[in-house]
Amino acid sequence: MRKLFAILGALMRNPQGALGLVLFLLLLALVVLGPVLAPADPESFNYGARFAAPSLEFPLGTDWYGRDLLSRVMSGARSTVLLALLATGIGTVAGALIGVLSGYLGGGADEVVMRLNDAVMAIPGLLFALMIIAVLGSSSINAVIAIGIAQTPGMARVARSVTLQVRALDYVSAARARGEPTSWIVLAEILPNTIAPIIVEATIRVAFAVMTLATLSFLGLGAQPPSPEWGLMIAEARSHLFRSPWPIIVPGAAIALVAVTFNLLGDGLRDVLNPRSGGH
Amino acid sequence: MSDTPPVLTIENYALSYAGPDGPIRILDDINLTIRRGEILGLVGESGSAKSSLANAIMRDPTGKVVHESGRILLSGTDLTALGEKALQKVRGERISMVFQNAATALDPTQTLGDHLIETLAQHRGGSGLRAKTLELLGHVGLPDPETMLSRYPHEVSGGEKQRVLLALALACEPELIVFDEPTSALDATTGARLLDLVRGLQHETGISGLFISHDLGTVAEIADRIAVIYGGRIVEIAEPGPLFARPRHPYTRALLSSLPRPSDSLTGRRLAISHAAPAPRLGMPPPCIYSASCPHHLPELCDAAQVRLQVRDGRQLACVRADAVEQSRSEATEWPAVTVPVDQPLIEVSGMDVVYGRTSLLDRIARRPIRRTRALVDTSLTLRPGETLAIVGESGCGKSTLARALTGLAPYSGTLSLDGTTVDEMDRAYRSDVQIIFQNPDSSLNPRHTIATILLRPLKLFRPELSRRERREEVTKILERVRLPAEYASRFPHQLSGGEKQRIAIARSFAANPKVIICDEITSGLDASVQAAIVRLLRDIQAETGVALIFITHDLGVLRHVAHRVAVMYLGEIVETRDMASLDHPPYHPYTEALMSSSPSIDPDSETTRIRLTGELPTRSEALPGCPFESRCPRRLGEICKTPPPLHDFGNGHRILCHIDARTLAEMPPVWRFSKTIMEPLS
Repeated sequence: MRKLFAILGALMRNPQGALGLVLFLLLLALVVLGPVLAPADPESFNYGARFAAPSLEFPLGTDWYGRDLLSRVMSGARSTVLLALLATGIGTVAGALIGVLSGYLGGGADEVVMRLNDAVMAIPGLLFALMIIAVLGSSSINAVIAIGIAQTPGMARVARSVTLQVRALDYVSAARARGEPTSWIVLAEILPNTIAPIIVEATIRVAFAVMTLATLSFLGLGAQPPSPEWGLMIAEARSHLFRSPWPIIVPGAAIALVAVTFNLLGDGLRDVLNPRSGGH
Repeated sequence: MSDTPPVLTIENYALSYAGPDGPIRILDDINLTIRRGEILGLVGESGSAKSSLANAIMRDPTGKVVHESGRILLSGTDLTALGEKALQKVRGERISMVFQNAATALDPTQTLGDHLIETLAQHRGGSGLRAKTLELLGHVGLPDPETMLSRYPHEVSGGEKQRVLLALALACEPELIVFDEPTSALDATTGARLLDLVRGLQHETGISGLFISHDLGTVAEIADRIAVIYGGRIVEIAEPGPLFARPRHPYTRALLSSLPRPSDSLTGRRLAISHAAPAPRLGMPPPCIYSASCPHHLPELCDAAQVRLQVRDGRQLACVRADAVEQSRSEATEWPAVTVPVDQPLIEVSGMDVVYGRTSLLDRIARRPIRRTRALVDTSLTLRPGETLAIVGESGCGKSTLARALTGLAPYSGTLSLDGTTVDEMDRAYRSDVQIIFQNPDSSLNPRHTIATILLRPLKLFRPELSRRERREEVTKILERVRLPAEYASRFPHQLSGGEKQRIAIARSFAANPKVIICDEITSGLDASVQAAIVRLLRDIQAETGVALIFITHDLGVLRHVAHRVAVMYLGEIVETRDMASLDHPPYHPYTEALMSSSPSIDPDSETTRIRLTGELPTRSEALPGCPFESRCPRRLGEICKTPPPLHDFGNGHRILCHIDARTLAEMPPVWRFSKTIMEPLS
């Protein structure tokens, strides 16, 4: 726990990390309190004010049913961000373990694992997620699992390439000369030293996960209308683009903000988690 | 020489870079001149800012400059006042630089010829560039310049790359060449040849140079005058002879007293362990930069005014107490007595072979020739309890492979026995008894682990009987043994200095109470004073515990202070094994002779024979039928050397693998000739 506070403290001293952390905490507040704080009911129609531009009454404007976009974005934060984080988490942990183990073992095992990995990577991510949903059935949590699995091979590649560099270092040789078990070498010697690029990669993938979730919702395999899920909001607003840009700009900006937040946080974490430049 | 005009004059130069805790003073009060045709050596330990001075002269700062003052004059032109455009013309044309690492200084996508032609075209232009290039390559002693032109950097050896860099530096006949540790990355025999070349070129063309090195021996070989730098200030400038015979500045004295000399075995001299702290870099500079570490520091004298370089007895010296320092005797360091090995084998290796590279399925299908490296060939050796066996040789000779094979990191064939029992598999008991320390503590200590985690691991694995608390206590004890405070346990490796990190690596190796510790080049990356301290620590530990050491090194100077016996390796084979006590006397294996004579030293009491090897180290991809040294041996007999050489036994464990008959070997001249003053008391 103290270590967590130490990392957070160090993050606040890093300009990118501080901004990322502030944005992340705002996002977290939105995830937890969004529906409560929303000024209006995200699903109540308001035919008198369809396609309204931002005003005092509707701070971010309204959509084609006159629904308040601010309220919708605030309410939608929970499903969008939480699910995307979960999906990325699954993909990162699975990918990192496979990549590090494969890179460390090398030789034939590495060859087999990586060629299988390549085969999976050759299938487009969305198509792969669709296949998994076809097997598991459509629901939000299955969409999350599908995106997580679809992200695993890419993450495994990144983790493996870092592992190959770390594996050649003497502290791994020293551990092998001591007769350490493979689990210790992989989890304690190699994994902590590959974590920086993995975290950076993971933060970039959060934004992708948001988009893929949106696509699945659009295809009717994730969230269903009238849910204020951000991706779904964009998908629905597509046909009204020429009447008013606000229904697309607002959730689009929200997704962009999530991407920027996690990228900043990732950059900050990378510096902080590096013991050489970090705040230990 | 003193009346020739100066090529480079540096006046009151100071430089600070931005740092996280305010400006960091890099260079301060630098005053020096290099005259035409002179080579000035610049020596200092790591962190002394010697390379920063080179960068300052090249106008290529490596940090964010927050303060710069003073002038750097190249034949009258003030370089600090020039713009980037004008500097581009100066660099390469009027000043050029030879870097330490030729492998990264050359562009891997360009041929060696393109490098030279580009430089010439940039600054000279005109026609006949190719002819000029060929001439340059011939000038730096590269055989067959014609084929060299079309080669890529990865196709030639390290020594050849360094020669190409030298040719590049010479290309436009610059007024000044800055050499930044040009031989440090090379093997002893290759480095010695490069130094010979630079010296030859200097006599021929009269180039002026600034020669930077951490190794006093190398600088002594080449420089007309030597400047000693500490903490960004120059503390002493003198000619090599007087400097080594009579160092005046306390820092120079400390530096010299920690360097090994060939005459040490005869004189019984011990390496001093200086306790010089890193120089202060933040805040106001102290009047004397060495004051914090100086044993002769007197506040009322030394801190009265800024201590600057002053001319005294034909040298420049930045010390106000030089006379008092001269009077003082440096206190003799107590070293533990040499351990007497027990006369029974602890480790016995016989007929050990290590082959790298394996045949892939694709190679076998295509019937391609199998590319394998025979890294260790039919190696046999014995190690006794309490003994230190040194293994010396150049890179690629198989000494590290031997270490890896003995610790289970490289598969081997042959037999290995520990304490009389043959080792079939490297089980926990064996791994606990045989420990290894790697060369570079930066990579051998996991940067994510605290010192406590690093030291607890061997305790957990090899001494499971200890309770959690006992292990914690043991960590404190181990730290104490390597002379580090207990609170280091909670630190991370990057918070320690290079020498401290190596102490941690040493501590980890004997946490398991091993019988053998293999030290793989553990002092190579360290400054001389730190090296002396590490060697001393090993000796202490050996005296306390009776552990046997295998001390792998390419640095021959330190051998005399650490080893009982030495094995010389070449191309995967042990060509000679001998007692350290007999090192000053022939017979030698021809390779041992060449290796020992390539090691530069600063000993006023000895002179080293000059034997240089020609040609390049062959790769050991297939079995060589005969003597491994056949292709480069200066004492080659003829065709007979292509057959396996016999092993001569000179008694007392002295064995030489060579075709030359024992009588002729015994009549070789000694590698070192010692001065009368130290020989007389002995006779």
